[in-house]
Amino acid sequence: MPEIDAAVLVLPPSLSKPPQPAVVVRARGLSKRYGALEAVREVDFTIEAGECFGFLGVNGAGKTTIMKMIYCRIARSAGELRVLGLDAASHAQEIKQRIGVVAQENALDPELTALENLLLYASFFGITGAAAKRKAAQLLESLSLTGKEQSRLQELSGGMKRRLVIARALVNDPEMLVLDEPTTGLDPQARLLVWEKLSRFRESGLTLLLTTHYMEEAARLCNRIAVIDEGKILAEGSPLELIDRFAGQDVLEVIGGDEELPDERTVAALVRRRERHGGVHYLYNSDNRVLLHRLAELGFEPKRHVARAATLEDVFLNMTGRELVE
Amino acid sequence: MSPLAAFFRPNAWRVFRRNMLAWQTYAWSSLAINIVEPFAYFVALGFGLGAYFTVTGYGSLVQFIGPGLLGFTAMNTATFDASWGCFERRVFNGVYESMVTAPVHPLEIAAGEYLWQACRAVMYGLLFLGVLAVFGLGHTFWVLLCPMILALSGIMFAIPALFVSMIVKTQEHLFYYFSFVATPMAMIGGVFFPLDKLPHWALTIAWFTPLYHAVNIFRALVLGRVGPSLLIDAAWIVAAIILLSYLPTRAIRNRLGN
Repeated sequence: MPEIDAAVLVLPPSLSKPPQPAVVVRARGLSKRYGALEAVREVDFTIEAGECFGFLGVNGAGKTTIMKMIYCRIARSAGELRVLGLDAASHAQEIKQRIGVVAQENALDPELTALENLLLYASFFGITGAAAKRKAAQLLESLSLTGKEQSRLQELSGGMKRRLVIARALVNDPEMLVLDEPTTGLDPQARLLVWEKLSRFRESGLTLLLTTHYMEEAARLCNRIAVIDEGKILAEGSPLELIDRFAGQDVLEVIGGDEELPDERTVAALVRRRERHGGVHYLYNSDNRVLLHRLAELGFEPKRHVARAATLEDVFLNMTGRELVE
Repeated sequence: MSPLAAFFRPNAWRVFRRNMLAWQTYAWSSLAINIVEPFAYFVALGFGLGAYFTVTGYGSLVQFIGPGLLGFTAMNTATFDASWGCFERRVFNGVYESMVTAPVHPLEIAAGEYLWQACRAVMYGLLFLGVLAVFGLGHTFWVLLCPMILALSGIMFAIPALFVSMIVKTQEHLFYYFSFVATPMAMIGGVFFPLDKLPHWALTIAWFTPLYHAVNIFRALVLGRVGPSLLIDAAWIVAAIILLSYLPTRAIRNRLGN
């Protein structure tokens, strides 16, 4: 029997494990200081090609500062930040050439029409003439803005303006779309439409990076979320992972005083975590039905309660506290 | 990138084009406003005051003030739009903010603005030159050099105005520049009266103001009294543009750079 050379059986590395996804953004110890204010404190994160990564946090948490460093609008104070493999400080123009940016402010030109806004922006990327017109028409159509070419800013609704900004950010066929609070201030219908468009881009393989303070938005769009507060990343993972890790499956909200529930130690044995805020007991547990049944056995049947599944909101509020921070 | 190299970048011309496109939506009102003011001065001072005075060496006050107002127009049109207009584009309308998310360099934005102010100075200057022609002034081939001097003047006056628009906190603060710099410059720049009877120190100050040299050239070209001293004035303007162009670079980078 011929001897088989062992080396032949070793698969080439590309087949032995799944291909490494390309890293689009890589931050290590990234910090930003404004005088005494530390807006971003040594954050680490990695965003891979094709994913939708979201920064979830309240206003002032540092989300916008991180985004501005990524799209090279402001310089970092310390740490490392590479976008598309390039250093954000020394290769700003090359990075800008290859990404799409939807900043928090629309910054649409009120003196130009919708179409002129797109064509001017395209020209900055060297896209001009018939190619620019074709691209603009295609983007207006894909963002449901056909027929608005000649409209000026004041004739467009908030949702239309936002979609126009998204169209503008796509003129250069970017390798990553960066969106800072894409739906803040939009009415529910306008928000749904933006979500639908962004989902479609995500499905087509475009890398999305967004910030939001809407839990629903993060849960719906993002496959990975970083919860950020006071310039630091508190947790990172998929929406389901985060819910499972920090809130549990279910939440039972019991409205009323302490007399509605058994003593603290008994309750602690039944739930993963409890919290009380503003006359409501929040009981984080794995199954509301089981919990209600156990409580009934102990002689407690809270009259006013809400039994619901845990959401990202619970994760978020668990981490950052239910008190309003201003 | 140096501020002068930015003039030759395609994006500077795209910024210029943006302003031209926007201007087309308010062109008539802008033309009217920018022509009425010098015309009012021309009629009121040239004919009103001119009925009582003549200017030694020039004859009528109309002859003296008319070409001077050409420099005044170039200064006003470039100063106003490069300060008030640029402030609006930067702060209220997000025009520059969107440009710097695209690969437009802050100095390309500045260069585009200077080019646009040159264009405005040429447009409004030529319009006023037409008015002068109706009143019998500037019937000489030398006026063909006026567009070039108008363009250079537009750039020269735009640079400090843009600088001020980049450092002020509110739009109202621009009035400090108008009141403390632009208006006194118009008074001492030789637009309205000859400077040769002023004390020596006043003449020295005048020599250091950009308007003085622009007015010297315009007056010579329109009246057809061209001499070699104009080359000094022209060189002064070119040197001023080169030196002044470095003045706002830091402020521009602070506002729009990363």
